[in-house]
Amino acid sequence: METLRFLLRKLAADRTAALGALLIMLLIVVAIAAPLLATHPEDVSEFHPPERLLPPSGDHYFGTDRMGSDIYSRILFGARITITIAVIAITVSVLIGVPIGLVAGYYRNWISDALMRVSDIFLAVPQIVLAIAIAQTLGPSIENVILALSVTYWPFWARLVYAETRSTLNETFIEASIALGASPWRVMMLHVLPNISSSLIVRTTIGMGGTILTAATLGFLGLGPPAPSPEWGRTIAESREFLPEAWWYAAAPGLAIFLVVMGFNLLGDGLRDILDPRTRRSADG
Amino acid sequence: MKLFDTSPGLGRLAAAALIALGVATFQSDAQADGKFVFANASAYDTLDPHAVFDVGRVASRINLYDGLMRWQDNPPKLVPWLADDVQVSDDGLTYSFTLRDATFHDGSPVEASDVVYSIERILAMKKGAYSLFEGVIEPGSTKAPDAKTVVFTLTKPSAIFLATVPEIHVVNEELVRANEKDGDWGTTWLSENDAGSGSFMLKRYDPAIGWQADRFDDHFYGWDMVENPLDSIEFRTVVEINSRVLGLMNGDFHGTDGYLPQDQVKRLRDDDNIDVQEEESMRIFYAIIHNGRAPMDDVNFRKALSYSFDYDGFIDNILSGSVARDPVPLPNNMWGAPTDVEGYSYDLDKAAEHLAMVEGEIPEITLGALAGYGQTEQAAALLQNGLNKIGVKTKIVAEPWPVASGKMRDEQQMYDLLFLWKSTYYADPNNWLGEMYSCDQIGARNNSWYCDEEVDALLNEARTSTDQDVRRANYEKANKMLVDDAAGIFVYNTKWFGPFSTRVKGVRFSPIGNGQEMRWVSID
Amino acid sequence: MRALVLTVNRLIWFVPTILGLLIITFTISHIIPADPIAFIAGDNASAEQIAALKEKFGVDKPLPVQLWNYIVGVVQGDFGVSLYTHRPIANDLLSRLPATLELAFVAIILSAAIGIPLGVLAAVNRNSMLDHVLRIVTVSGLAIAAFWLAILFQLLFAMEWSVTPLQGRVDGWGPDVHTGFFLIDSLIMADWEIFGDVAHHMILPALTLAFPAMATVMRFTRAGVLDAINSNYVDYQQAMGIPRRVVIWRYVLRNALIGTVTQLGLIFGILIANAVVVEAVFDWPGLGLYAVNSILQSDYSAIMGFTLIMGMVFIIANLLVDITHGAIDPREAH
Repeated sequence: METLRFLLRKLAADRTAALGALLIMLLIVVAIAAPLLATHPEDVSEFHPPERLLPPSGDHYFGTDRMGSDIYSRILFGARITITIAVIAITVSVLIGVPIGLVAGYYRNWISDALMRVSDIFLAVPQIVLAIAIAQTLGPSIENVILALSVTYWPFWARLVYAETRSTLNETFIEASIALGASPWRVMMLHVLPNISSSLIVRTTIGMGGTILTAATLGFLGLGPPAPSPEWGRTIAESREFLPEAWWYAAAPGLAIFLVVMGFNLLGDGLRDILDPRTRRSADG
Repeated sequence: MKLFDTSPGLGRLAAAALIALGVATFQSDAQADGKFVFANASAYDTLDPHAVFDVGRVASRINLYDGLMRWQDNPPKLVPWLADDVQVSDDGLTYSFTLRDATFHDGSPVEASDVVYSIERILAMKKGAYSLFEGVIEPGSTKAPDAKTVVFTLTKPSAIFLATVPEIHVVNEELVRANEKDGDWGTTWLSENDAGSGSFMLKRYDPAIGWQADRFDDHFYGWDMVENPLDSIEFRTVVEINSRVLGLMNGDFHGTDGYLPQDQVKRLRDDDNIDVQEEESMRIFYAIIHNGRAPMDDVNFRKALSYSFDYDGFIDNILSGSVARDPVPLPNNMWGAPTDVEGYSYDLDKAAEHLAMVEGEIPEITLGALAGYGQTEQAAALLQNGLNKIGVKTKIVAEPWPVASGKMRDEQQMYDLLFLWKSTYYADPNNWLGEMYSCDQIGARNNSWYCDEEVDALLNEARTSTDQDVRRANYEKANKMLVDDAAGIFVYNTKWFGPFSTRVKGVRFSPIGNGQEMRWVSID
Repeated sequence: MRALVLTVNRLIWFVPTILGLLIITFTISHIIPADPIAFIAGDNASAEQIAALKEKFGVDKPLPVQLWNYIVGVVQGDFGVSLYTHRPIANDLLSRLPATLELAFVAIILSAAIGIPLGVLAAVNRNSMLDHVLRIVTVSGLAIAAFWLAILFQLLFAMEWSVTPLQGRVDGWGPDVHTGFFLIDSLIMADWEIFGDVAHHMILPALTLAFPAMATVMRFTRAGVLDAINSNYVDYQQAMGIPRRVVIWRYVLRNALIGTVTQLGLIFGILIANAVVVEAVFDWPGLGLYAVNSILQSDYSAIMGFTLIMGMVFIIANLLVDITHGAIDPREAH
């Protein structure tokens, strides 16, 4: 409780980090309350062909799309998809990557070498490239996007936790508890994990932003959920046929992606300054 | 690693490019104006005329190569081309063509043996137009009694054989054989080279860019009837619609495909330098319904589906009235299409009525669409909208054409319903009805698993009969029965809006060549 | 010495890493739900046609045999045959690689040319208005979706104002191919018209690609400069009476650049990843566009070839970065 209060006070003092936190809260509120906030909530699955491609107006804040649906309402519902994909993909990859990194970092044998080699191979290719290959093979759907992102993202966590674990093990107090006969499980859970948690939190926050971008990219390439899903990346792809006339069609979802990713990046930066002084964004503090 | 060697293919391309550039410099002051540049939506991955059989890449086939006969104009007429005469035996099994004097691009004469080699090549490669001849012509059965006569012997009478003859593009046997590798029928070589006799001869090719060809002055048809024919043509791949449209407006391109979204056509119409030509094409848009699976095996459910699609909203609003409502599975402008069928309309009350007559639980229905083809997705979404209102749950699955076409052949994997087009490969009603709804085509070209004895008998008789009146009557009747049976959701027949620079004259549209046969065209 | 050991170590790992990559791509390509063979057989194929093709592409053999054939093939530079174009994938990839590399190089140069001076400026004027503005630019650079930025650029510069081409690499066929890098090839031909045209086409895609990379460069340069400024050495030099400006440009920048070079691998990764969508939007005939077209055609073999070659390019780039780093970093050298 004390740490949380400390964290909040620090965050409030850092204006840009606070802005980030605000943007994320906005995303969460929008995702939860989408049906209430939307002016045309039925437009996620209802179409009005005669009203297609209308410019922004009082009735349609962000205009209408190729099916005559309200873009503003669809963007709000798109937030749900984005949040679902990012949260599940990050959770899964953390749940796979962190234990692997812990084990590989704690023990020094061929298994830990092998684990790290495998994750290095994954890390040898830009994430999006492998994600494209997997998503393409499995077919376009939300589930497959999540799968593709998780499969390609866990090695990052394994690598991170491995390095942190190795350096933490050198700390005197851990060496002491190992010498006192503490079980490996106990050392990992009670000493190592708490020690690396702050850097995990920072990375998760920034990772959310990156994952949202990658997911949107898959959507843009047609590898995300199919029509008429209001997924943001797909909406931008759809809009290209109607440019430059229907500029609003591309503008709104792109801006949504930008703000959300920006939110996570700002908050991540702020958290890093507070929690992880070793890797501060700048020397001036 | 060998990977980093310059491959022979690339070297050859580079050499070809150098030679081509030499030619270009030599001709440069002749006139840059006699050159026509077409922006093509799909990539020319291969120039082999026997490897592909689609409308998107028809230009390389009909401009670089000739067939014995050719489809021209709209409605399409079958005219003699490399052959100037054809004799059909009384039993309808033997077709004997007499060739005119014609030369290949390398100067050697086109002979009957080249035609024989070409059909054998198609039968052996089993690609492209092969399926048209499969089971109709046996390998080795085509003969060349003399240099000017070629004789095809069919295994069974076929009313559509002549209609498919234009797809036998004649390649230069000697040249292709010289470039065969391990008995590959020269496929690797011919994918990037030209061995034809067509109106234009290949100058340059790059699969990432497109191809260029120069006028072939010695073409058998001669050039007298065209005033000021083109000196060279270029077909460049430009995938992005906006790029094609803007390039056309800037004058970088002189023509592009005629199936642009209506919003873009509107834009082009407003441009003084662009002339948009309009023709009724033969390319129907419809939904295949899986008639072999419950509940779609119930005619009432199929009728409920047909009444749940907003035809007017789709045609008038989403497509801005750019297509013609076509209530039957045959293009309205093809003979054999009945004129007195009203077809279905968007009527949810009737849909609910028919739905009520369906017995058993209605499961979630999968609506298939083709990824990357916005119209199919929009149609599926619109149908979903209608079905929602009568209480039928649906799920849309949009998959790339390769995935969809794989599933279409498998009774288990086939979607409950799939929106797509059926283009003209040859202008005969069999191209649509015979392929889509004959029982013996199930799992191959009949992807509806629809088999009705009476319809099948009509279609079979029409396929083999040589009596045009019988054929017409049969197709008209079959159309009506298919509509009564709601075998599919029949939506529209495409119009072609060919945008060309106003400098371009003489474009001749035919649904098979899509206005891309360039020998008639000139440019000021 | 240590640098040498590191380099050799990296080189040794190159082979198993590529092998691992091969196994990954092979695995992915064999969980296909669809039937690519049915596709290539064409719209109207018969069962017999399909069987013949399966044999031709070797997909009728047991999996381990297929894997072995695949590895042996790749080692010999054979990435298989495109299911769609029937041409060797290695040829297709190689002919498109220069377009992607040229774009990536120009983008890297742009991002360094803009990012480094701005990073220095931000650090020197720490906490000024300029610093804050630049920080916002940095954060935006990493938050903006590359494909959206590309579309915005097209919308404004190409469609609205018509000052740049909308798409493509060159009008027409471009220069004679010597290197595959059109800027260099047109210089070899001394054809200024083509050079100008190529450069004109390059502006939007290169800027789009450079934007996030520039943000990263700026960020690291700023941090590096601040670290250096705060070091004792700078205080000492200043105490010796050497003007601050000189100290910053001579000593501080050198140190800051080392930090930036270390990140080049990371930056290159961002570039390559974004190149896929940027090429797709600008119809840039490189590897990314090839991959996107292969996605639309479900050409699995081509996508796996693309994944492999991207992996190789990326691994080699990182190797080069490590070696460069070893060469210029005094700490590594000692």
